[in-house]
Amino acid sequence: MGLNRRAALGAMATGAAAMAGVQTAKANDAKILPQNKMVAMLYDTTLCIGCKACVSACSEANGLTPDTGESGGIYQMPKYLNDKTKNIIKLYVDEKTGLRSYVKAQCMHCIDPACVAACPMAALQKNPVNGVVTWDGTTCLGCRYCQIACPFNIPKFEWTEFNPKIVKCQFCDHRMAEGKGPACCEVCPREAVIYGTREELLKVARKRIADNPGKYFEDRIYGEEEAGGTQVLYLTHVEPQLLGHLVPLGKRSIPEEVESVQNTLYMGFLSPIIAYAALTSVLKKRWQEHEQEAKHIEEQTGLKEQL
Amino acid sequence: MNAHWERALRVDGPLFTKWFWALAALAGAAILLSIYRTYAGLGAVTGLNDGYSWGLFKNFNVTTLTALGSAGYAVGVLVWIFNRQKYHVLMRTAALISILSYTSGMIGIGVDVGRPWNIVWVLDPSTWNRYSILLEVLICMTGYLLLGLQTENLPAFVERFLEGRYPETWKHKADTALKFVRRIYPFAIGLAFILPSMHQSSLGSLMMLAGPRVHPLWQTPMLPVLYLLMAYILGMAAIVGILMISCLAWNRPLDMKILGRLGYITALATMVWLALRVGDIFGRGMLPLVFKFDSYSVFFLLEMVLINVPGVMLLRTKWRDDPAKMYRMLVMLTVGGLLYRYVPTTIAFIPGDQYFYFPTIPELIISGGFIALAIIGYLYTVKRYNILPVPLTYWYAAQGKSTAP
Repeated sequence: MGLNRRAALGAMATGAAAMAGVQTAKANDAKILPQNKMVAMLYDTTLCIGCKACVSACSEANGLTPDTGESGGIYQMPKYLNDKTKNIIKLYVDEKTGLRSYVKAQCMHCIDPACVAACPMAALQKNPVNGVVTWDGTTCLGCRYCQIACPFNIPKFEWTEFNPKIVKCQFCDHRMAEGKGPACCEVCPREAVIYGTREELLKVARKRIADNPGKYFEDRIYGEEEAGGTQVLYLTHVEPQLLGHLVPLGKRSIPEEVESVQNTLYMGFLSPIIAYAALTSVLKKRWQEHEQEAKHIEEQTGLKEQL
Repeated sequence: MNAHWERALRVDGPLFTKWFWALAALAGAAILLSIYRTYAGLGAVTGLNDGYSWGLFKNFNVTTLTALGSAGYAVGVLVWIFNRQKYHVLMRTAALISILSYTSGMIGIGVDVGRPWNIVWVLDPSTWNRYSILLEVLICMTGYLLLGLQTENLPAFVERFLEGRYPETWKHKADTALKFVRRIYPFAIGLAFILPSMHQSSLGSLMMLAGPRVHPLWQTPMLPVLYLLMAYILGMAAIVGILMISCLAWNRPLDMKILGRLGYITALATMVWLALRVGDIFGRGMLPLVFKFDSYSVFFLLEMVLINVPGVMLLRTKWRDDPAKMYRMLVMLTVGGLLYRYVPTTIAFIPGDQYFYFPTIPELIISGGFIALAIIGYLYTVKRYNILPVPLTYWYAAQGKSTAP
């Protein structure tokens, strides 16, 4: 497969080291992250057999209680991603043609993540070296704006907890320190999901497309450009948007679009300051006039001003 | 003959009426449920879920209702920016509506956030994410409440302690406070313009970050402008409507000259808003969606009718001279405007087919209870302090009565 796992692990380890430090990357600085440092996953629908080994490996590696709700307590059977499930395999079947496909859903680790842009207290951060999006509860208000902002509907909230956490895939950042990769990738028996640097995995994906003409939908890599690019990449044989996780998104990231509107209004916070300065100078004059008039009225009628 | 409002005068009459107790019961239930929510989690009392993670507390009590709480902003712009001092007599009522609405909303946020104790981190700027629109809303709202609205409301409160029956030291303190307010007043009203302009528009920008998850009939780069202008319109409608109800309830004359004038300004602002809204729909080529007659297009058309009809009617003097007619139009406009502010956050928010949200009964009680709390605050304040406007004759009559042994 031409994939150097050691290099990828190296990149991830530096990421883990940086994460331990105090460095933080804000939504907009993330774009300078080099491709060969970003860790990534590549999932291929044509290889996945839907065994869900990744689903149980994920909950085990992350110490999550398996969600058996849908099976009445017998199997691990989450219906959707939830506060007990960071990774899920969904099945798509076209009733008419019988065309079927699995799709793996977890955090896409966007290059310019909307959740990180949304978070008021920087509890969600993008690792400045490997680009992994992580949540730290120290300052989290539990405002859930990340849930509103994420186009992939990924961050989940513990709705019945006194001290609720945000639950989402963190690229098994705790395993990186031990020199291991994400549990889902390591357990996959078909290598339907693999990990590496984004640069490498884009090469692998392009090679698969070149080697198998017509196999993949529109010879496209989902995540290469969507929403400004994601660090989890998909090769699909079905139109991505039918699969339920891979929503159609533009090339420009949403935070960037919003930033440009906000910038037009705020001009880097200059416009509120200028407006305030201009305003108070006018208001001071108005206020003096008002005080004089009030005094005048009081002298004439004996009525004290009611401010 | 038209009454001419000139002074603010407290309302005579008992505070603890049956209405007061009914509201207090609702507010009490809301407080008890809020305490239970703290222990049991948000899921135990609300219909919120991972798809619709914002519900009534944030989307209705804050995003929607603080538009009505923009009364102080709307009248303040008129009085101070456009220098129309004849409306100054309304400032106390407007500022009171604002402070109550914002306080009620802030309590709502406190119950809505999952880890409220972490709010203390807001005091430490090193934890801020300066790209976050929500942070800006949070800080601007708190700043407006503490700096702008407190200053605007303070005189009416401390003025009372200048009366004869309070000890000399209190009078002295009240005097000092009033002098201080007068010194900072122009700076405070400057903030009371800038801060609401920022957060009322940013409440719209909040939903911009949801991108394609908000239906294209509502999702537009114009959201901040449309939200801000709607706050202005609804603030105007709120002050006129609330003054009308108050005068009716406590048997006071209406100054239809002032109210009609405000009605006209509201109508003009509504026309500008409609031009922007419709222009935006055309500009983005969303016209086909308007006539698709799915639930979204129905909500859009409903909103358009509710805002358009009163907007056009209030342009005509005939509809503004008659208080009953104007009141009906303002109620209609308010419903339409509130609908516009609410729809992008919930009804036109599309988190995926598997999610459904409808507020639960405890959630409705909490949401309603916080509104009841604001109304209780209003009843208390107008009956204890000189807030609501009256003609001079009422003022002198009240003075005559109070000075008599």
